[in-house]
Amino acid sequence: MEKKTKYPNPKFFRAKDNIDWKAQIENFKEVGSIIGDMVKETDWKAVKEKMKGKALNTLDRIKKEAASFKQMSTAEKADLIKNGEKQLGKLYRNGDMATVRREWRGVKDTAYDFYEWCRMWGMLLATFSKDLFPALNATFYYRWMISYMCCVGFMDKNTLGQRGTALRMSHTLIYDIFRYVAENLVFLAKCDKKNGNSAELNKKVVLVDEMTMGQIMAGFPDLLGIPYQLMPVFLVSEIDQLTCVPYIDAVESFGLPADACPVPSSECGALVVDALPHMGQCFISSSMPCDGSVMASSYMSRRFPDLPVFHLTFPVRYEYEETVEDGAEDIKACIKFIEEQTGAKWNWDAYFAAMKRFNQETAFELEKWEVNKTQYPQLIGPVYELFRKWNYEMDGGADPRVIKTCKKVNKLMLQAYERKEEPWVGKMKYRGIVWSCPAHYYANFSNWIANCWGVDILVEMESLNFTKPMETEDKEKALMDLARLYERMVMRRHTNGGYKNVVDELWAQCEAWNIDIIIMYQNVACKNMATLQGILDEQARDKGYHMIWIEHDLMDPRTVSRKTMRGKVNEYMRTVMKAEPVDPTLLEFDDENMM
Amino acid sequence: MKDLKHLIYFENLLDNADNELVEKAKADGKLAIGYTCYHIPEVLLNVDNCFSVRIRAPRTGSIDIATYYMSNYTCEYARALTERGIEGGFNFLDGLAGVDACSMMNRFYEHFELLKMNSKPNFFVTHTDMPYKVEGYSVKAYIKQMRIRLLDVMTEKYGVDTSDAAIRKAVEEHNEVCKILTEIGQMRKADNPVITGYEYHILNLVSYTCPKKYILPYLRETLEELKGRKPDAKPAFRARVAIVGSEIDDPEFTKLIEECGARVVSDRYCFGSTPGREVIELNDSEPALDQICRFYMQHSECARYISDDKVAQRRETADRLAKEYNADGIIYEQMKFCDFWGFERALVSHIMADEYKWPVLSIDRPYNAKSSGQLRTRFQAFVESLEIKRINKNGGVA
Repeated sequence: MEKKTKYPNPKFFRAKDNIDWKAQIENFKEVGSIIGDMVKETDWKAVKEKMKGKALNTLDRIKKEAASFKQMSTAEKADLIKNGEKQLGKLYRNGDMATVRREWRGVKDTAYDFYEWCRMWGMLLATFSKDLFPALNATFYYRWMISYMCCVGFMDKNTLGQRGTALRMSHTLIYDIFRYVAENLVFLAKCDKKNGNSAELNKKVVLVDEMTMGQIMAGFPDLLGIPYQLMPVFLVSEIDQLTCVPYIDAVESFGLPADACPVPSSECGALVVDALPHMGQCFISSSMPCDGSVMASSYMSRRFPDLPVFHLTFPVRYEYEETVEDGAEDIKACIKFIEEQTGAKWNWDAYFAAMKRFNQETAFELEKWEVNKTQYPQLIGPVYELFRKWNYEMDGGADPRVIKTCKKVNKLMLQAYERKEEPWVGKMKYRGIVWSCPAHYYANFSNWIANCWGVDILVEMESLNFTKPMETEDKEKALMDLARLYERMVMRRHTNGGYKNVVDELWAQCEAWNIDIIIMYQNVACKNMATLQGILDEQARDKGYHMIWIEHDLMDPRTVSRKTMRGKVNEYMRTVMKAEPVDPTLLEFDDENMM
Repeated sequence: MKDLKHLIYFENLLDNADNELVEKAKADGKLAIGYTCYHIPEVLLNVDNCFSVRIRAPRTGSIDIATYYMSNYTCEYARALTERGIEGGFNFLDGLAGVDACSMMNRFYEHFELLKMNSKPNFFVTHTDMPYKVEGYSVKAYIKQMRIRLLDVMTEKYGVDTSDAAIRKAVEEHNEVCKILTEIGQMRKADNPVITGYEYHILNLVSYTCPKKYILPYLRETLEELKGRKPDAKPAFRARVAIVGSEIDDPEFTKLIEECGARVVSDRYCFGSTPGREVIELNDSEPALDQICRFYMQHSECARYISDDKVAQRRETADRLAKEYNADGIIYEQMKFCDFWGFERALVSHIMADEYKWPVLSIDRPYNAKSSGQLRTRFQAFVESLEIKRINKNGGVA
């Protein structure tokens, strides 16, 4: 019988810390003096007035809600109690960072939602308690650590309006993502020289560029691969729309042009403001997905010159079969580099075991696609998309616990399909596809568009990646497959290798998924996509698709706000589609300050 | 200084991609192969009956149609070429040797195909894959790409002889051009050079955009002329500058800098002489193609090369050139919206100032820079700052 190994390796949590408490105390003093200054400089009279205003507003809202309930017929009251509220725009209040209250989803679903809320907090506390002090101290160094405290709010935003099986599937999936987040936050804090400073763990840590898929680390089961900028930059920007703003400002002040993609800009900016932990044995940089990311590695070398770097690079014209072996050669060189830097040995058995799991997960994914292509799509919404991207890029079969989640979700999905359930009850009006990269600061946009207009996003471009089963026996072929997989990472699969991969592919997918509306994101700094806008526009017109262009600036909500993004859809739906909103309260609301 | 005999002729040649010498070569039955990037070894496009044309879009005005296709925040060089292609300005080409090195330029090649900008039956556009670092296996990958995706295509479409002997013959002619331009370029090292940066830019550009065979006699004559040229008694410049950065195919840019009182003494940019005008020394023991590919990879100064050794090489080259050519400061420039040089410029302009102790001016610029009042002001200010530094260094003596 196969020996069960725990994931992640419990030794990583138990690795001895070397906290410099003297330095910590100095930092506490500094943070304390900042807080002191803030207290002194705050206009408490204004704060009091503001709080009073909010309290009155809350009271007024409660009164209105009570009055509205009172005016309802018995049937309406029963429906509200059983199925939940339908006017979600009322949950927003101008200037607030969170909704005014949690959503009422009906008795059963609200109870379930609350259970998941408790389960999430329980998991977070349990994970952080594995080594609490470094993580606590890290919150005094890194503002992004604080943003993670809102992860439960993020969960709420992404499940807004969901009921029944759809809600259950979303919760099941997001739990796995946040378990991964919590574990990695603990590791980051433990390794960071300013915090845990665990020399024992640092020897085992290989930092991988956040844009590099994690599968290569599956062959090193004794090492800990951490997508370096994922927590401080990439993922947190989906939780808190304002996280990357200081990074972007810092690097632009440094001299970087403002037209650069906000992903590498934010990564470099995080280095400028010292928001990345100093840690690890070596770093794997990459050329992926696009030109801007290639360049960020020289900023990394500049900030941490003591960290040996390997540049993992793959052919751009990845469909040329003659280039596959070039990619495989680079993977071999990368494995050799990791072995040299860490003393660990590549383990084919461990790699193949992970790839078998990854193949299983891919099979589950394809099953989801099959269901969503039918008249009764089941698993839709932002959580599914986030899970797909995380599972494909970061987990990649490494964590055996994820298989259990996949099985559970697919079982729920098939049951719901047999019952012909509606994931957005009463809101299944249009079949939509998202193309190009979505705005991080509006990760739950597909939730809004479903709730407001009944446009159900069945799939996003970034999910449609490599689905060929990975080789799990022949070593040479396995490396070639790994190269193919990396070359088709999220975004890169479409934006690299020629226009056909993103233009012709769109039309093929529209047909396969029977799409009515294309949500065409336009990241204003993405040159790969921008250079095709005319062709996409022309061909969409020729083919008769409704294509709604939505500009955004990926991680910088100041350039194009969420409200402006929504405005583009509202305008198109009203003027071109002559449609009526499903929930008119969601047409206009203020979420500029919302996390 | 007395005007160079052929300067106006050279300037006229640069007014159109399809210039007089290109037309002459075409009339002689030769095949024009366009390219844009150093990643395509120029010498490979000059084999047999082919000749290379590094394409530009001189006298670019509106680029509205290209902007419709490629948006308004992408590389203006790529957009200007697309616009010119749509206008029919590249109909003379028989092939386009493209590289997938930067996404925006790649999209230009793709639009060339998508919008059917050239209707010749055998016309081809290649998309070759470029490595990001110089390792044994990446050199092999590059050689493979040049063979399969470029030379074999030329043979297949037009029956071009791409044998080892044909490549070596092309190298000989290429080397003569390089020797002449290197010799002329060295003249910029003098305290009071007999050639201006603008003139050198013109000479270098015609060597990239005209058939080698036809431009060589003019270059030979110009070299002899320069050997006997007398500089002005008093130098007409107040500071010497080296340029480092991305694509500059517009000599008016150099002129603008020189109008502000500087002398451009070194040109380390795409379309410049470093890299591009180094002599290729071939041995007989290895195929010429392999040697050429390795040579181009090693000499490339493209910011796309990600590996630590190439990153260091770029900084060392900038420092070396500035020293060799006695520059007072360095201008780091990038074509607006260029991702590679945007990141490189922002970081390295600090490094060159802080670690290498060079006065640095860091700018981004449009494709057509001549009319930029903002750039003029910045160049003037930079020249003044260099002048003040020199005066302070000399104890108050100008």
